[in-house]
Amino acid sequence: MNTFLIVLEALNVGFLQTLKLFAVTLIGAIPLGLIISFGSMSKFKPLSVLVKTFVWIIRGTPLMLQLLIVYYFPGLVLNNPIWGSGESGRFIAASIAFILNYACYFSEIFRGGIQGVPVGQKEAGQVLGLSKSQIFFKITLLQMIKRIVPPMSNEIITLVKDTSLSRIIALQEVIWAGQSFMKGAQGISGQIWPLFFTGIYYLLFSGILTIIFNKLEKKLSYFKT
Amino acid sequence: MAILEVKNLHKSFGKTEVLKGIDFSLEEGEVLSIIGSSGSGKTTLLRCLNSLEFADRGTITVAGESIFDSSVDLKARSEKTLREKRLYFGLVFQSFNLFPQYSVLENITLAPKLLKKATNEEIEKTALELIDSVGLSEKINNYPCELSGGQQQRVAIARALALKPQILCFDEPTSALDPELTGEVLKVIKSLADKNMTMIVVTHEMSFAHDVSDKVIFMDSGVIAESGSNEILTNPQSQRLKAFLNAFGK
Repeated sequence: MNTFLIVLEALNVGFLQTLKLFAVTLIGAIPLGLIISFGSMSKFKPLSVLVKTFVWIIRGTPLMLQLLIVYYFPGLVLNNPIWGSGESGRFIAASIAFILNYACYFSEIFRGGIQGVPVGQKEAGQVLGLSKSQIFFKITLLQMIKRIVPPMSNEIITLVKDTSLSRIIALQEVIWAGQSFMKGAQGISGQIWPLFFTGIYYLLFSGILTIIFNKLEKKLSYFKT
Repeated sequence: MAILEVKNLHKSFGKTEVLKGIDFSLEEGEVLSIIGSSGSGKTTLLRCLNSLEFADRGTITVAGESIFDSSVDLKARSEKTLREKRLYFGLVFQSFNLFPQYSVLENITLAPKLLKKATNEEIEKTALELIDSVGLSEKINNYPCELSGGQQQRVAIARALALKPQILCFDEPTSALDPELTGEVLKVIKSLADKNMTMIVVTHEMSFAHDVSDKVIFMDSGVIAESGSNEILTNPQSQRLKAFLNAFGK
């Protein structure tokens, strides 16, 4: 029993780091994704080509590789280890990689959401004398949100589990914490069950998110687009 | 003086010339019907009037105010003046284009409130009167998805009227409706004509056009092939209009 409590406490600490990475990624990637989606829809060709190339590179390579590059490139290639060696440096590097990666995926969802709103909605706003920003915020935005809730919930639930990839740069998240009991953390070694037990955390958290997204979908079901 | 004057309007999309020099004028309180087969340029003409498209050549003048003049550089015009010029016209779309997330009342009050046309109380009072005039007082809190097509189009008409346009345009207002629902929409348009609202109606409803119009324009391949009073619908002069009306079984 005592062992169980020790393990549970360590896993809780690890999961807190998981949650932190999850939250920081969302807070950074949603606005950045919106900016990227506007960039990819820009009528200024050089900008849209540049943005689309960036999205292609990020979506076309593994997130794990991106984590390794962001973390090791400054120190090992530029001889300028800006992240330091501590946990906070690893967290910043992981956050940057996750935000860039998820912003690119989100941007495609946003683009689909914006372009999916019928052009007649914008024109109706135009003939009523509304400005571009009034049309976006008062007419298009909510219809876009309604359209993107299902794909976004998919992507966000994937993010919950993708945070475990940060294990590769030794970020001390919940998988790292579970694994540590195989190698003698706090005098406990050779135990595989703490690692397996981390699955419960992911299950519970993605379960909560599923409920939240279902509620949101229901809340937006009062109108049809 | 004419309230609307359109002179020498030309518009091309790529290599296709859709409008090949359109000239007409309209007096205040008159109803103009524009008829013609699809692809003849009717909708493009309406969209040019409402600044959803910009003509390549020509001028549009409303009550002495220049709405469009191809000799003035488009880019020199600010978005603000463009928005002000749009408000001379109202437009009712074929597919209604109500805002789905807003109730009937909110659809009508949204733009006047954003444009600060009056106090919120006055705007809501006007909106309720307009809803009453299109016969939908019981639906003020309903959402568009809960209304029939005919009811949605009546809300769209009230929404356009809420901004008090000088000229109200209709782009095939009943074409997306089931036949049994066209009557209620045409009745509303007729009642506006009786109140001397200046209107331009693009339509395929020939008997309605005959009933409501002071002027009729028949468009064919980007030109006005025939125009005149509503009598041209019963007594067409040109071969092309005769053939067109024959195809409608008139």
